[in-house]
Amino acid sequence: MNAAASPDDTLIRIRGLTTVLNGKKVFDALDLDIPRGKITAIMGPSGTGKTTLLKHITGQMHGDAGQIAVDGKNVPELSREALYGLREKIGYLFQNSALLTDFDVFENVAFPLRQHTRLPEVLIRNIVLTKLQAVGLRGAARLMPSELSGGMARRVALARAIVFDPMLILYDEPFVGLDPIALNQVLKLIRTLNETLGITSVLVAHELSAIQRVADRICLIANGKIVAEGDPHGIENDGSPWTRQFFGGEADGPVPFQYPAGDYAEALGFPRAKA
Amino acid sequence: MSQRKSYAVGTGLFIVLGFAALGYLATQTSSVANRHHGATYTVDAKFENIGQLKERAPVKIAGVRVGEVASIALAKGAPVADVKLAIDKRYADIPVDSVATVFTSGLLGDQYVGIEYGHARQYIADGGKLGLTRSSQPLEEMLGKFFGAGGGADAIGGSYDVTARFSNVGTLSAGSPVKMAGVAIGRVLSVQAEPGKLDALVTLAIDNRYNQIPDDSSAAVFTSGLIGSQYVAIQPGGSPDMLKNGDEMILTQSAMQLEDLIGKFLVNGSGSGDKKDSGSSATPAGKH
Amino acid sequence: MNARVDDNVVSRSLAQIGECGLFLLKVLAAIPRSGRYARETVRQLWFVGAMSLTIIMTCGLFVGMVLGLQLYHVLSIFGGTAATGTVVALSIYRELGPVVTALLFAGRAGTAVTAEIGLMRATDQIAAMELMAVDPLAYVAAPRFLAGLIAMPLLCCVFCALGIFGGHLVGVSWLGIDNGTFWSNMTDTVEVWQDIVNGVIWKSLAFGAVVALIAVFQGYTAPPTSEGVAYATTRTVVASSIAILALDFVLTAFLM
Repeated sequence: MNAAASPDDTLIRIRGLTTVLNGKKVFDALDLDIPRGKITAIMGPSGTGKTTLLKHITGQMHGDAGQIAVDGKNVPELSREALYGLREKIGYLFQNSALLTDFDVFENVAFPLRQHTRLPEVLIRNIVLTKLQAVGLRGAARLMPSELSGGMARRVALARAIVFDPMLILYDEPFVGLDPIALNQVLKLIRTLNETLGITSVLVAHELSAIQRVADRICLIANGKIVAEGDPHGIENDGSPWTRQFFGGEADGPVPFQYPAGDYAEALGFPRAKA
Repeated sequence: MSQRKSYAVGTGLFIVLGFAALGYLATQTSSVANRHHGATYTVDAKFENIGQLKERAPVKIAGVRVGEVASIALAKGAPVADVKLAIDKRYADIPVDSVATVFTSGLLGDQYVGIEYGHARQYIADGGKLGLTRSSQPLEEMLGKFFGAGGGADAIGGSYDVTARFSNVGTLSAGSPVKMAGVAIGRVLSVQAEPGKLDALVTLAIDNRYNQIPDDSSAAVFTSGLIGSQYVAIQPGGSPDMLKNGDEMILTQSAMQLEDLIGKFLVNGSGSGDKKDSGSSATPAGKH
Repeated sequence: MNARVDDNVVSRSLAQIGECGLFLLKVLAAIPRSGRYARETVRQLWFVGAMSLTIIMTCGLFVGMVLGLQLYHVLSIFGGTAATGTVVALSIYRELGPVVTALLFAGRAGTAVTAEIGLMRATDQIAAMELMAVDPLAYVAAPRFLAGLIAMPLLCCVFCALGIFGGHLVGVSWLGIDNGTFWSNMTDTVEVWQDIVNGVIWKSLAFGAVVALIAVFQGYTAPPTSEGVAYATTRTVVASSIAILALDFVLTAFLM
C-alpha cells in the first residue's frame, strides 16, 4: 500500500485519517502518500469523499482522527496564522473556478498579491500578465468573469492559483464540462506547470483517458480507503474487484447499484415470501 | 485602478453629504439655529406680556411679513419684556408712533408681532423704539371670545371704558363679550372684587363706534343658553345724555344662578331676579 | 424525523438568534484584522451607502411631504398649523427618520449584501478566499458590517434633512404656513442632544449594526443553493424589520 518513498520525496503524508460526516464514515483509517514533484490523480466513485480529502489537506475540514502532514506540518494542529501561511504555498483550482465576480480577470489574478504583499503596482502588473500569458489569456485581462467561457474561467483560476508560485496545486475536477479543445488546453497547462516549475499536483477527476495522459500515479479511493494504487496504465489490470468495476465501468460490483434499502417486496406491500 | 478611485471619490462624496446633512439638522433645525442675517434694522419694543412669542417669530404689517423677532429678554429694572424686532430694510418707513401688538394666529396658533401704522411724519430708525405696544391677550380672553356666543367686538376703532357694579357676576370674566341687542359692541376689560362694598366692579370696554348709548341704560349679566358662558347685555335707556369714558352704569342686574333659573321656570315665580341688588328695579325679569 | 420534534418556530428562531450572536462575536473579532482591507470597507460603503442615497432621499422627501400635509390638516382644526414644523421635525428625528431609513436600508442594502454573500458562498468564492489565505470574515463580513454601521447614520441624516425639506415644501410653500413660524417653532422645540444625537445618531447606529449583522449573517449561513439564497434574502428583510421595530421600542424607552 505504501509507496517506498523516502520522507523527503513525500510532500503529503496522511496516516489513519478517519472522518465521520452525518453518521457516515467518509474516511476509515485512510493512509496516503503523495510524492513531491509528481502529478497524482485521485479517482473513485462519486460520493467517496475525494473533494473532502482535498479539504482536509487544506485544513478547511478536520477529521476525527489521524494525521495529515503537508510539507512536514500536521495540518489539523496548525494555528490560524500557520495554516494561512501554509495555504499561501498551496494553489487550489475549484471545480467552478470560484472567480471573484466583483473583479475583472486582471484583478482576480492580482487578488492574492494585493492581499499578501505590498508590491509596487508595476511589479504586480508584470507578475499578473506573466501568469495570464502562461494560460494564454493575457488579452482577456479586462474581461469580467461573467464574460468568460467555462474553459477560460478555469484557466484564469489556474493563473490565480499559480500567482504565488506554489509548491502544490490541488485540482478539484478540472475537466468537468470542458469541450475537447479546452480539455486539452487544461491538460497541457497542468503538464507544463508540473514540468517547468516542478509543482506537485493532486488531481481529483473521473475522466480516465484524460488522467492517463497527464498523471504519474493514480490512487483509487472507495469505502473510505485507498483500494488501489499504481501507474496510470498498469492499475487497470491489478486484479482487484474495485479496479475492475471502476475502470471497466460495470454497473454493479463492490459499489452496489442499489442504494442500501429495506426489503423490496415489503416496501411494495407484498406479503413476505415464505422461506 | 480607475475603478477603485471612483469608488473612493463616490464614497467620500457620500460621507461628506451625510455629515453636511447632520450639520444642517443640528444647526438649522434645532435650538442652536443661527440668527437671520439679512439686511435688517433693529427696533426695540417693550411688552408687559409677550405670551408665547418666540425668537424668529414673524413681524407683520397689514398681514405682510416684514421681519422677525430677533431676541427676547427681560428688560432691566422692570418686569417687562424687551423684544428686539429685526425688520427688513425695505420697510424703513414705519411711523414712530406705530403700535406693536402681540397677536395670536388662530386660537392656539403661534404668536407674532403686528405693527399698526401711526400718523407721525417721522420714521423709526435703526435702534429706534416703538413706544406704543399692546401685550399678548391671555388665553382666557381668547376663549371668552370664542365661546362667548358670537365673540366680542373687534375694537378696531379703539374703545372707551365704563364701569358697572354687580352683586354677583357668576362666571363672567375678562374678555367676555358685551352685547347690545345681541350684537357684540365690546368686551369685559376686568372684573374686580370691591371688598368694602360687597360687590364686583366690572369694567367694560365698549367700541368707539357705539358711543350713542344713553347713560341710563342698564347692564345685565346673562348666560348664553342654559349653561353657556356669560356675557354683559346692555339694555338702552331713554336719557338724552350718552355714556362717556369713565362713566358708571347705575342700573345693573346680576347673574342668575342656575337654581334660580330653574326655580323661575318651574314656579313661574317673580321677584327672585332682584335679590339684594343695589338699584335693580329696572327690567327685573322682562328680558325673558 | 426524531430530530425535528422540537423543530418549531420558537426554537428555530432562538437558535438563529444564538448563532447570530456568536457570529457577531466572530465579526467583531475579525474587525481588527480587517484593518488591512480598509479599501474594501470603502468599496462596500459605496455599495450600501452611496448607492442607497437615491431611494433614501426620495422616500425622505415624500415622508416629509406627507407629514406636512397630514399635520397641516389635523392642526388646522385647532388653529395650530404653526406647530407643523415642530411636529414634522420631532416625528422625523425621533421615530420616522431612523426607523424608515433602517427599513429601507434593510430592503435596499441588506438584501443585496445577503444575496451577494450567499452567492459568493454558493460559487465557492468564500472558500477560494480561505484557500488564498484571505480570511473571509475579515475580508467579506467585517467590511460590510462596518459599512452598514457607518452608512446608516449618514443615510438617516440625509433622510431627515430631506424630510424637513419636504415638510417645509408642503407646509410653507404650498399651504402657506409662515416661513419664520415654521422654523422658529422647530428651532424652539428641537434639542440637539435629545432629538438629534439620541434620536437620530444613536438609533440609526444601532439599527445599522442590527441590519448589517443580520444581512451578513444570513448571507454567510445561507445554504449554497439558489433556493437557500432566496430564502436568506427574505429572512434578512423579515428579521431586520422585526428587529428594528422591537429595538426601536427598547431604545425609545431608554433614550427618551
